[in-house]
Formats: sequence, structure tokens, C-alpha cells
Amino acid sequence: MELKYGFISADDHVQEHPEVWTQRMSKSKWGDRIPHIVPQDDGTERWVVDGQKVDLPGVALAGAAMADRAREPQRWAEVPAIAVKPAERLTAMDVDGVDCSVLYPTVAGRAGETFCTISDPALELACVQAYNDWLIEEWASVSPRFIPQCIVPLAPNSAAASEIKRAVAKGHRGVVVPSVPMMLREALPHINDSYYDPIWATCQELDVPLCFHSGASREIQFPPYVGFTPEVATALEAITRPVSSVLVLANFLFSQILHRFPKLKVVFAETSLAWGAYELELADHQFERQRLRTEGYDLTPSELFKRQCHLVGWFDSSGLKARKHLGLDNLLWSSNFPLATSTWPESRQAIARCFDGIPENERRHVLVDNTARLYKIQLGAG
Amino acid sequence: MKIEYGLISCDSHAQLHKDTWTSRLSKARFGDKIPEIRETTNKAHMIRASDKPVERWFVHNTVVGERGTVNCPTAMGDPLRKTFPQRWEEVPKFVYDPAERLKALDRDGVDGEVLFPNDPVQSATFFQGDAEFELACVQAYNDGLAEWRELSDRYVPLAIVPYLSGIEASVKEAERAVKKGHRGLVMLAEPSRTRPGLTHFNDPWWDPLWATCQDMEVPIHWHSGAGLRVSIPRWTGFTPNQGQAMGPAGGFSTQAQFIPNLIFSGVLDRFPRLKWVCAETGIGWVNYVLEACDHEWERRHLWTQGIVTRPSELFKRQIYVDFWYERAGVELRHLVGIDNIMWESDFPHSTSTFPESREFVERTLKGVPENERKQLLYGNAMRLYGLAA
Repeated sequence: MELKYGFISADDHVQEHPEVWTQRMSKSKWGDRIPHIVPQDDGTERWVVDGQKVDLPGVALAGAAMADRAREPQRWAEVPAIAVKPAERLTAMDVDGVDCSVLYPTVAGRAGETFCTISDPALELACVQAYNDWLIEEWASVSPRFIPQCIVPLAPNSAAASEIKRAVAKGHRGVVVPSVPMMLREALPHINDSYYDPIWATCQELDVPLCFHSGASREIQFPPYVGFTPEVATALEAITRPVSSVLVLANFLFSQILHRFPKLKVVFAETSLAWGAYELELADHQFERQRLRTEGYDLTPSELFKRQCHLVGWFDSSGLKARKHLGLDNLLWSSNFPLATSTWPESRQAIARCFDGIPENERRHVLVDNTARLYKIQLGAG
Repeated sequence: MKIEYGLISCDSHAQLHKDTWTSRLSKARFGDKIPEIRETTNKAHMIRASDKPVERWFVHNTVVGERGTVNCPTAMGDPLRKTFPQRWEEVPKFVYDPAERLKALDRDGVDGEVLFPNDPVQSATFFQGDAEFELACVQAYNDGLAEWRELSDRYVPLAIVPYLSGIEASVKEAERAVKKGHRGLVMLAEPSRTRPGLTHFNDPWWDPLWATCQDMEVPIHWHSGAGLRVSIPRWTGFTPNQGQAMGPAGGFSTQAQFIPNLIFSGVLDRFPRLKWVCAETGIGWVNYVLEACDHEWERRHLWTQGIVTRPSELFKRQIYVDFWYERAGVELRHLVGIDNIMWESDFPHSTSTFPESREFVERTLKGVPENERKQLLYGNAMRLYGLAA
């Protein structure tokens, strides 16, 4: 692919349309348990899956494309076409100077968590497969500029591995897994448990990145004050969400999963880069203090991070200033479209501000090369 | 305070004497509920089970702290800092005797200490009993610590406040404590989450206390999680060492989540001269809070929602953070603000730089110009606490 703009966005979100699941799942088999939109008494609309309302502040997440960014669409008719329609999305990417876009879900969970709360494994798998099929059929097939990532069923663990294989064979390039499954459904073991080894093994074997996106559980976010306006409350959630991933990364660096799967590549998305250097220094400090070298760890947390992990920034300059502590190969950049926090349509200006003073070759590393390498995007000579 | 070494620790922990509460609280009124040290053989009171009886703090007949009698592993001579005294007689005198402790400060090259609580005070509260019990315990703590200040102006004591007797009682105790020499308050970051039934921090119900502290020019302090902890379940497969390494490695997530609430709460604009100190923070992530708050404020036009001042300006005007061992954060100090950062030793807790504080300072501040060093190491603290040279 020839790059026109010099920016591959490593974290954007598709907006699933109302028929994604109803078109692909058997009505006679699943009835109203199929994900669909339900009008509410107050005139708004909400997604409902297996009788449960999906935890979103609207019927879609499209703040960046709304006239008022602080307000998410409350009815499907309000959802902007650039959030939903792939062809329109390509135009929105041109406006913002984005060559390629790595796609995360919205209704299926910004971290791929929605269907993991379903207690019926057959329904969970059917919902996951419909999403994975839809993303290839309606997005990836439209343009190679879209980099699709699959979601996975978490029970039983054999289902995850076979779904990843099926999805990657269909064209998926990354695997989105909620980072705290044990907080989503009681029956699911801790993320460090060997129960999930088939997922890590399959990602490693197929050489596709494993992606933990912030926001898999609200329970690791400090809840906003009830007296806040909805606008301030959602702004605060947008601030607490990326740093809730501190807990996820800290656990992961000590989990020994990276030791056991040394070729596994992991992306921590919607994290920002800003706290990364501190986290690595702190994790190493704790590692030395507890003498973990004597407990089977051959690499320190920061060495493991540099070998296998990636953080994704979009508005923050300070992580780039500390890049030598994080590793230039471990940093990705995004526009986060179409979330309210997105830099769209001013990502060029945000990049100019955040990368001010950073040499061109290093800039290209973060904006293009690292993401292209992870997702095997072939860059043309242009 | 006389500056001899050029170092003030803005987060140290004062261990009060074991008789602090028994000598001050009425035995007739509170009986065996009075905080005291007692012998116990109950293994549920011990992190590491021992066949020998141990001593623990009991508050309102509830054991406080299962690791040892006192949290002072840095003072125990164990380089791994895993040793906690199991009996009061094992606690080094320089941990709880203010005159002896001055010698330890000299040994570590520290001019003065801002004093946060140690055992048996948990998150700066006494919630084990009713309102009357709480007030009596709080007053005894504040009186006991005020004696340190009477002994030496190298101590900068911070008072705790009662929560269960209404806002007037909190205000009254803050005034009383400051008259006795306290230079600030240590509080919960979000009372209603630590103790259901208390009023949310953002509620104007608290305004009389903020107004009083602003008038008295004493800052409010939040120490570490300040009674909050956002966490993911700890994996049962971790060894104790792995668990102890992992836990604190994610700890700043909690602070990074409640400081934005302070910034958006409206309290800083309502009380523009009141200062807030977030202790035991580190600084290398604070840049995240500032950049993220500014970003969302701009993206969502939050000035239309009553947040009139730019978040990073509010921070620079009114919030302070601490550092002790980190290097990357020191490189980013100008993003946080050179006026808003103070040094801490965290004596006598396990992460403390004692007794090598000078070595830590030299390593951490390598390459930092002299005028900035002075500000970080003691100048900002002298200004904030009104400490005359």
C-alpha cells in the first residue's frame, strides 16, 4: 500500500449498524436474545443483548462526529454516516490525514467485552461470529485501508482458539480480548490462569497481535459524581479509562504470560503513552525490591515490555518526551475516531503539537512503521 | 525551620507512643475500646503465623495491621525490608520518640519532616466505633502529635479530622489542631466511598471546612490512595513476593483517577487559595492527568459546563505532588510544574529512601540545575507550609 498521509491510526472504532446480528443470526433459534436496538420509554434507543442493555452512553459512540462532542447519539437516526458507513469513513480519514485504520468494536464492547458476559456459550459464539463475519464482509472488503480485528468467545477456552483461527483465515489481523474476564463473568478464571493459554498460543502461532483495549470493566474506574452534568461525567470517564489500564499492564508484566509466550505481541490500546515510563520504572523497582529474579523471571518488567508490548497515544506529548524509557518500537499512535476524545478532524495539528521537536525518522516509527510491522501492512515504495 | 542539609521530607510517618490513647481517653467512658497494644496468639492477627504471642494494635477491640506491631520496616535493619516488629519493645525508639528521631534525621541528612499518621490510624480515620469514640481518638492523636512540634520546629505535623459528628465538629477540630501547631489536614479522597453514608467530596456540604482551611492557610493532604483503592482481583497463583511486587506497581491508577475529580469538582475555583497535597504519588504519571484533563476540557468545551479554568492551570495554582526515587519523572518535571513538586522520604515505610536519602537524591536529580534542586528538595515545602528559614 502506498501511504498518502504518513499516519496509520492504531485504534479506531467501527459502529455496528442495527442489522449486523439480526441479519446473521437465526431468529427462530435465538429470538429476542439477538443483539438489537430497543426504543426506551424516554424516547431514546439502546442496544439490548440477551435481555441486557449494553453499557453505552447512547445508541452509538460517535461524539467526534456530532455537532456537540459532549453528546452521544441517543437515537439511531442521529448517528452520523461517517461513523457507520465504510465508504463515508474513508472520506473522514482523508479529511483527517489517516492512511489506515485499525478497527475496534463499539456495541461488541470497546474492549470486546459485551458478549463475554453472556452465560450461554452457544449464544456467545453466535454473536462473536456474526461480528467477525460482518467486519470482513462490510468493512475489510471495501478497502485495504481498514485493518480488521476479531473478537473472541471466552467459554469454553477451546472455542476462543478455533474462532481466532477461523477469523484470521477470513482476513482478521488482530485479536481483541477483554483484559479482565474475571470481572465480567463469575465463571471465568483470572486472566493469568492457564485457561487462556490456547488464546495466547494461537495469537503467537498465527503471529497476530493480542489487543487489550481500555474500558473492559467499569469496576476499575472511579465513578463520576452523581451531581456532575452528563457532559462532565463522560469527560471524567474518558480520563479515568486510559489509566485504569495501569492495573492491567502492571498485572500482565508480572503474570509470566510473556515469559511463556515470548513471541506474543500485545497492544494496550487507548492507554495514552503518558504514564508508561513511570509504570515501567515502578514495576522494575518493585521487581528488584522483591528479588523476583530468584523466582523464575529471567527478564525485568521493562525488558519484557520492550520485547513484546505496545501502548497507544493520541493527545499526549509527555510520553513521547520519555520515549527512550519506553522504547521507540513500542509506541503507536491513533486518532481514536469517532469517540468524543478523538483528535479528528485535527489529528494533523495534534501530531504536529505532540511530536514537536522529534526527528522525522522517529516520528515515522510511531506514526507508521510500528503499526505496519505489527499488522503486516505492506508499504509500497511511494 | 533551619535549613542545614537542604532536604525536607514532605511525606514521613509519625508513630505515636503506645500510651497516646490510654493516657488521654476516659477509661470510664470508653473502657476496653481505647486504642492500645495487646498481646495476641490468634493466627488471624498475623500475616506470618507464629507460635509465639505477638503484640498488635486494637482499636475498639478490632485488630489493626496484621503485619506487625508498627509499620516501620525501614528502621529494622533488614535490607529487604520484610521485617516488621512483632512486639512494641522491638520498635526502635527513633521511630516513636521525637527526640531520638531528630538524631535519625541528622543521620539521613534531612532537615525536617511533614508528618502523616502511622499505626493504628488507618487512612487518617477512626471509624471503628461511634461518633463520640471517633472524636476522642482524633483529638488524642492530634494532641499527641502536637507535642512533637512543641519539641522541635523540624516537625511539621498534620492533623486528622472527625467525620461522624457533622461538619461543624470537623471545622472545630481543624481550628483547634492548627492552634496547637498543626500545619495541615490529612483526609479521605472520597469519604462516601470509604464509608457509605458520608457526604461525597464534591458536595458543597464540605465548604465550611474548605473555607476555614483557606483562611488559616493550611493545605489539605491526601496520602497515597487516601482511603480508596481501584484494583483488579489479585491472581491466587502469585507467590507472596510476586503479589507484593505487582500490587504497588499499579497503585498510582487510583490517584490518577481521583485527582481529575478534584480538578473538575469546582472546589478549586470556589476556594482558589486553598492548596491540596497528594502525597506518595510519584510524578512521572501526573503529566497524564494534566494532558488528559486539558484534552477533554478542550474537546468537549467543558467551560460551558461550569469548569471555567483550564485544568492544568488549576493544578499549577493549587495542587502539589511528591517524588522520591524516580528518574523519568524528574526529566518531565517541567510538564508537571517545578513549583508543584516536593521531595519525600516516606520514613519509616518499606519504600523509604532512609538511611540513604542523600544518595537517592543525587542519583535522581543528576543534571538538575541548583535552583531547581532547591525548590524541589525544600523550597516549595517552606513556601507551602510557611516555614521561616
